[in-house]
Amino acid sequence: MNLSFNSKLKSGKFVITAEVCPPKGTDISRMLKDADLLKDTVDAVNITDNQRAIMRMSPLAACSVLEKEGIETIMHVTCRDRNRLGLQSDLLGAHMLGIRNVLVMSGDHPAMGDHAGAKPVYDVDSVQLIGMIGKLNQGFDLAGNKLEMKTDFCVGAVTNPELNEPASIKLRKKIKMGAGFFQTQAVFHTGIFSGFMEKINEIQPQVKVLAGIMPLKSEKNAVYLNKIPGIRVPKDVIERLKRAKNAEEEGIRIAAEMIEELRHMCDGIHIMPLKNNNNTRKLLEMTGLI
Amino acid sequence: MITSTQKDFDDILRMLAENNIFIIGCGRCAKKQRTGGEPEVLDIEKKLASSGKNVTGWMILKSACNVVSWDDVLSQNPGIGKADAILVMSCGGGVSVISRFANMQVYPGLDTQSIGGICCNEVVTGQCNMCGNCTIWQYGGICPSARCAKGLLNGPCGGAREGKCEVDERDCAWDAIFERLRSIDKLEYLEKIHEPKEYLRKYR
Repeated sequence: MNLSFNSKLKSGKFVITAEVCPPKGTDISRMLKDADLLKDTVDAVNITDNQRAIMRMSPLAACSVLEKEGIETIMHVTCRDRNRLGLQSDLLGAHMLGIRNVLVMSGDHPAMGDHAGAKPVYDVDSVQLIGMIGKLNQGFDLAGNKLEMKTDFCVGAVTNPELNEPASIKLRKKIKMGAGFFQTQAVFHTGIFSGFMEKINEIQPQVKVLAGIMPLKSEKNAVYLNKIPGIRVPKDVIERLKRAKNAEEEGIRIAAEMIEELRHMCDGIHIMPLKNNNNTRKLLEMTGLI
Repeated sequence: MITSTQKDFDDILRMLAENNIFIIGCGRCAKKQRTGGEPEVLDIEKKLASSGKNVTGWMILKSACNVVSWDDVLSQNPGIGKADAILVMSCGGGVSVISRFANMQVYPGLDTQSIGGICCNEVVTGQCNMCGNCTIWQYGGICPSARCAKGLLNGPCGGAREGKCEVDERDCAWDAIFERLRSIDKLEYLEKIHEPKEYLRKYR
């Protein structure tokens, strides 16, 4: 019998997750194809929630489809679009549809996306949302009303590997509220990541950490990523991509080397492919993880 | 103080369907911010006139949101009786108070932004979110509900880059909260996990 993502995490298995984004529209064929590349390769597939505040199909619907296909999902839940009623109501629905893993985050501000004038909600923040899911897991809603059957969510959160003091305090709050695992922003510096792991181990060594891995596509791509908060692609990596005959292949090699350096420091990796997962299998084969 | 910005004149013109316009400015917040005091009202009067509108008069109320007697306003300003519409250069509070009295179309000349203040002649915006449940003391007097673009109560979102918010040029409110609490030796407030805010007392 296949173990669930949560059981694997708890058993100490090195877990692998990768990201798939729902379609902009109602055609799910590309999403199914992309997720299919990951089937039997990763332990769970993350489904993003209107990432970069660009409106797409609901991750709840997308996760439900993939779960039916036998692919275990991690549903992203942002605080941007729904208030406490909407979030809890969707979480109950998700649970009923077989979704068991959720990843909580604030969510990019609407001003960053394709509906820039949308009213930002953020009725609860990520710390409060983790606590709220903890209550659902105990059989109560946020207001303290008893639920007809409790949920059983495995709750994760996100973090940058490089944290200033206010951000470190928030990380501690997320752990205190019950985040069982973290998926980090893309890591390109082993030193920064090992500092982060030291911080985690000081707070709560039982918390599981999946290091974010992003195969770079080109020099241009790396320079662009450096503008994204929490990502820091070092100069020598950019130089390698510049010199490479095939930058995409070089990007996969860089990612594989990163996995090699990080795998003994953490509990798993989270692969964030750019656009599609064609390269994910290649990367994992290169590292011998599959 | 209520902070406001002037609407683009072209937008004002598109809004005004009537020809005979009376202008009311505000001697409080709008005057201090130079969005609706005498110089701004005179400027709009000139622009309206050169755009073919007939300005029947103008006045500056001591405070547009505090009108004791509309009869007094009318008797001192006969131009209102000759107008088909009033353009109010104040915050939404003033526009709505005047709309209660005036028996004609009333237009806003400003866009109301936020609750703010003036520090050493500098207008500071977005200081209060009017949540009806003030907890600003736990954040060193810097309200995250108003000053963090996401209104997060338990710490930064991780979207700031070099201390700047992901949304615009503003500084990350959480860096400021951290520094302030550190300077008054109250960093323990930052460790507190804040429950979701109760919005029952917020007017809307």
